[in-house]
This record gives sequence, C-alpha cells and structure tokens, in this order.
Amino acid sequence: MSASITTVADLSDRSIIGDARLSRTSRAAYAIAFISLIAAAVVAWKQNDPHGFAMIWLQNGIFALTLALGAFFFTLVQHITNAGWAVAMRRVAEAQAANLTWIWVIFLAPMFWLLLTNREWNGFGHGLALVWPWADMAHLSAESPAEGAVVSHKTAFLNPTFFMIRACFYFAFWALAARWFLATSRRQDQTGDATLSTKMRYAAAPALILFALTSTFAAVDWIMSLSPAWFSTMFGIYFFAGTCAGGFSVIAIGCLRLQAMGYLRGVITAEHYQDIGKMIWAFGIVFWAYIAFSQYMLIWYGNLPEETVWFLARQVGDWAWVSVALLFGHFIIPFLFFVSRWTKRWRGTLAFGALWMLAFAWIDIYWLVMPVVPPDVATFNTYDALAAAYATTSTGLSNPLNYLMMVGFVGLSVAVATGRLSRGAVLCRRDPRLNESLQFENI
Amino acid sequence: MTTMSPNTKTSSDAPIGASLPVYGMMAEFETPAQIMEAAKKVHAAGYRFWDCHVPFPVHGLDKAMGIKRTILPLLVFGAGLTGTTVGFCLQAFTNAASFSVWALVWVSGYPFLISGKPLMSVPAWIPIIFELTILLSALSAVILMLVMNGLPRLSHPLLSNNRFRRATDDRFFIVIESRDPKYLRSKTEAFMKALGAKHVEAVEDR
Repeated sequence: MSASITTVADLSDRSIIGDARLSRTSRAAYAIAFISLIAAAVVAWKQNDPHGFAMIWLQNGIFALTLALGAFFFTLVQHITNAGWAVAMRRVAEAQAANLTWIWVIFLAPMFWLLLTNREWNGFGHGLALVWPWADMAHLSAESPAEGAVVSHKTAFLNPTFFMIRACFYFAFWALAARWFLATSRRQDQTGDATLSTKMRYAAAPALILFALTSTFAAVDWIMSLSPAWFSTMFGIYFFAGTCAGGFSVIAIGCLRLQAMGYLRGVITAEHYQDIGKMIWAFGIVFWAYIAFSQYMLIWYGNLPEETVWFLARQVGDWAWVSVALLFGHFIIPFLFFVSRWTKRWRGTLAFGALWMLAFAWIDIYWLVMPVVPPDVATFNTYDALAAAYATTSTGLSNPLNYLMMVGFVGLSVAVATGRLSRGAVLCRRDPRLNESLQFENI
Repeated sequence: MTTMSPNTKTSSDAPIGASLPVYGMMAEFETPAQIMEAAKKVHAAGYRFWDCHVPFPVHGLDKAMGIKRTILPLLVFGAGLTGTTVGFCLQAFTNAASFSVWALVWVSGYPFLISGKPLMSVPAWIPIIFELTILLSALSAVILMLVMNGLPRLSHPLLSNNRFRRATDDRFFIVIESRDPKYLRSKTEAFMKALGAKHVEAVEDR
C-alpha cells in the first residue's frame, strides 16, 4: 500500500482528477450494456412472453434504481450528520446517485407506452395491467372476483392516472435532488466555498424526509401493488434496507476499483473501508434482517389468510429455496463474515463481501417482484394441499433474460457514473472536512 | 468547629519528609508530537509497565506505544453467542421439553398450544433470543471493559500529584511504573530526561 496522504496539499492531480482511465472504463461499460440489451431484445423476441419480459424489465430496473437510491441516501446522511470521515469517498456516492437523473427513462417510458397504447394484453388486461393487475379492474374482477372486491376499495389510490402522477413526482424529486447535490459539491471543487457545505447540510434534512416518503411510496406502488390485495406497513422500510445493501456495496466496490485504477491512492485507507463495511453491515445486513423478520413474524403470528398468501407464494415450489437462500445469503453468512474488523479492512475480503451483498440484493428484489400469489389460493383447505399443487412452481431464475437485462441496466449505471467521474474530480477536493477525512482513524 | 491547621494530617497520610515508596517516574511533555516520539522510544527501550496520559485522544498513540489490540470484541462475540444459545434453550425447554431422566423423573416445561402453532415455534422465539443476545453482549462489553481496565478504582497514586492535574488540560504525560523490571530510578530518570521531557519527577505511591 502506498504511503498515506495526510493533508490536502499532498494530493496530486493524477490521483484525484478523472481522465482517460475512467472514460475508457465508461466506454467499455456502455459497450457491454448495449450488447447485453440488444441480446436481451433478441432473446425476448424469441421467448415472446410480454408479461415475463415486463416483469424482468421491472425487476432489473428497480435493482439499478436501488443502487442509485442507496448512494443518494448515503450522501444525504453524510451531509446531515456533518460527517468528516466519508468526505474521501463521497464523490463516488454522489456520482452513483446522479444516475437518478436518467434512470426514470427505464420506468416512465414503458409505463407511458403501456398507458397510451392501452392494448389488451392476452390474459393480463389493458395497459399497465400487463404488470400491475389493479390497472384493469374489470379484468381483475372477472378473473378473481374475491380479489377484485378487495382491490376495488383501493382504486382511489391505485388507479393509472394517480399512479403515473406519483411516479413522475418521485422521479422529479430524485433527479433534481441528486443533480443538485452533485452540482453543489462540484461547485465547491471550483470555489472552495465552505458555506456550500452548510447549504448542503440544511438541504439534506428536507431531502431525507422526502427520500423516506418517496422511496416508501415507490416501493408500495411498484412492488407491493403487484399483489394488490396484499398489504404490509413495513414494506417501504424493507425496500429501503435492501436499497442500502446494494447501494453501499457499490460505493465500496467503486472506491476499490478507483484505487485499482490509480486514483485516490493513500486517500481512501483501510479506515474508510472499515467504515463503509460497517455501514453495509449495519444497514444492509442487520437492519435488513431485523425488518425482514419483523414483517415476517407479524404476518406469521397473526396467521390471517389475506396476509399470509404473500409469503405462501414465496415458499411453494422452488421459491422456498430462494427464501432460505435469502435468510442465509443476505443475513447469516454475511453477518458472520463482516462482523470482524479485519474483513472490512482488507481490500480482498471487502470486495468479496460487497459483491456477495450486491448479488443478494439482486436476489432480494427478484424475490420481491417475481413470485405470483396463486390465484386459486382460496380453494385449498390446507397448506399441504396447496404446497403439493404448486410443488413444481419455477422461479424463472434459469432464464438468461434476467442476467442480460441486469448487465444491461447495471452496465448503463456504471457507464454514466464513471463517465461523470471522468469529467471532474473524483474527490470532494476542497471540502472543508477533507483534512479530517484524510487523517481519519477508527479508535 | 475549629479550622484545621495546615499541618493536621489524617492518620492514613504519611508524615511529611518520610520517604514513600515510589509509584513511578513521570515525564511531562507539551505537545502530542513530542509524546508520540517519546512513546516510540519508551516502547523501543523495552519497558512494559508504563502508560501515556493525554488530555484528548491522540490518534496513533496506541500504535506508537506498541499496544496490542484488545480481545474484548472476541469476548463480546462469545457472550452474544451465549445469549443466543441461552435464549433458544430456555424457550425450547419451557415450551417444548418433555423427557424422562433415567425413566425415573419426568421433566416437562409448560407446553401451551397457541393459535395452533407447533410447540417448537422458532419464529416466535426470535425476539427473545435476539434480546438476550443484545443484553449479554452489551452487559459483557461494559463489565469486561471495566474489569480489563482495572476499574472501578477509587484512588490512583497519580491523582495525588499536583503536576499531573494538567493531564486533563494541556500537558501530556508518560509514566513508567517502578514495578517494571527495567525500572532503575537513576537510569529511568536519565532516560526520560533524554526523551526531551519538560519536567521529570518521581511519583510517590500514596
């Protein structure tokens, strides 16, 4: 490891100014993303399954979104707590969060297209009902009268018009806020104006409140309403915890990659890595498990059919394995792996743990979005009878489209973020707390 | 009530002029940088029973002193695991235990069927297992920290030294204890003066 840098004056331009090294990475990521998306289009054409393709699109779109949202939350928290330690890695988080300025295209373009064409999808109803069953109440009530009766009471909230207005509002807020925080931080790079830090700290408070509300409502709108009769008041916070797992892991991986490329040598040290590891451990692993279990236990204990069906859908057939995999892969194994100080400080183990968490963050979203509550669930007398009838339910994880779309959307995120970094400093170089961050040590 | 004359001493105090056993040799420094350098030299000189006293955390000082990392986290992890195990066994026994000891004594907990759940309903136990894990970890962290630091301790020889009071204000002290095998009053005093201390004096063990 190169010698540690202890003051701002020691920084060299090569170490902190984005250049061709980053733009090469960006171009490579664009190439990989476009090749994947073209391949995905070909595969989707051959599979000819509009609903399946739409769900895979939604799931991977949400995954890419969570990576940006997690980084956005990280930025806001560092500002509101006036944290010194994270200044050395904050630009990476800001650049990643700035993906929120374009990621709405992935969502809003197909949503508006579905809405405007308002086509009758074979077996799924009109327009948005290709993905969200409540969007075509006539169809839903005809298919499943009991579910239709329940959902009809929710139409004041769950209707295509209001749904689209809300979606536009979430994306408008995320895009503008993420853009403002990156732009203000960059303005400080130029001017060195310390009052900008204060400004960002003040702005972080209302932004965090709006972040909590928008991410909660977005989770309810786009994921929870996939099973429109079902509800859980903890759903938004569960989504948020998963967001942290993915988002913080990408920050760690991003910093490790930047250092491997020759940036920020001696700027980000084992001390910073230990702290980002703590954040992954606390939010993405422990808090996630706490919320996931709280949600599960209340529903399991209450044992009301209208609530348990959602978990039922996730424990029949192959889904049981995914649920168990989440318990071990998203909690028990990484909990024990990252509980030690050393695994967070060593680059190799941190990279492994962060990639592991990223993979399980993806599986977590998959587990949220993909399972379908058995439509005839009310006709079974016992759990065993239902489990037997649905014993062969497949998870669809073997479908290559999942991975092509994931590489496509994540690749685009990486490409845009590294492109942004290549056109400026990769460090908040004139933040008044930078010296504190450079000298930061865990006690 | 009469005012006490300055010479009045409580019986536990030794009379003025009598030589008390020496607790150690104390060196006073003016800056963190000085004490950092000095600490490296004291460590290099092979002293074992010595410590630094500073008015605020000086980062890297423990490294300069050559202090090994504490094993407290491992002990706390063990205590946490104990809490997990105790929480599970407690509930497994009270809810679902039913066995005989050598066919003589029938041991049973309090098996209650609640909302048709099996007796071994682990999800319902998790909150208690979790709380016990946290409780034992937190308590053991605090208590073991105190024990390993030799606390609580009502008095310390250094606290009766007047110069040492500035350890809470603006001075940095290194104290080498007389029980150190390498301690030799004259040599240690000379050594500490050579470290660049502003002032060196012996601290009485009172």
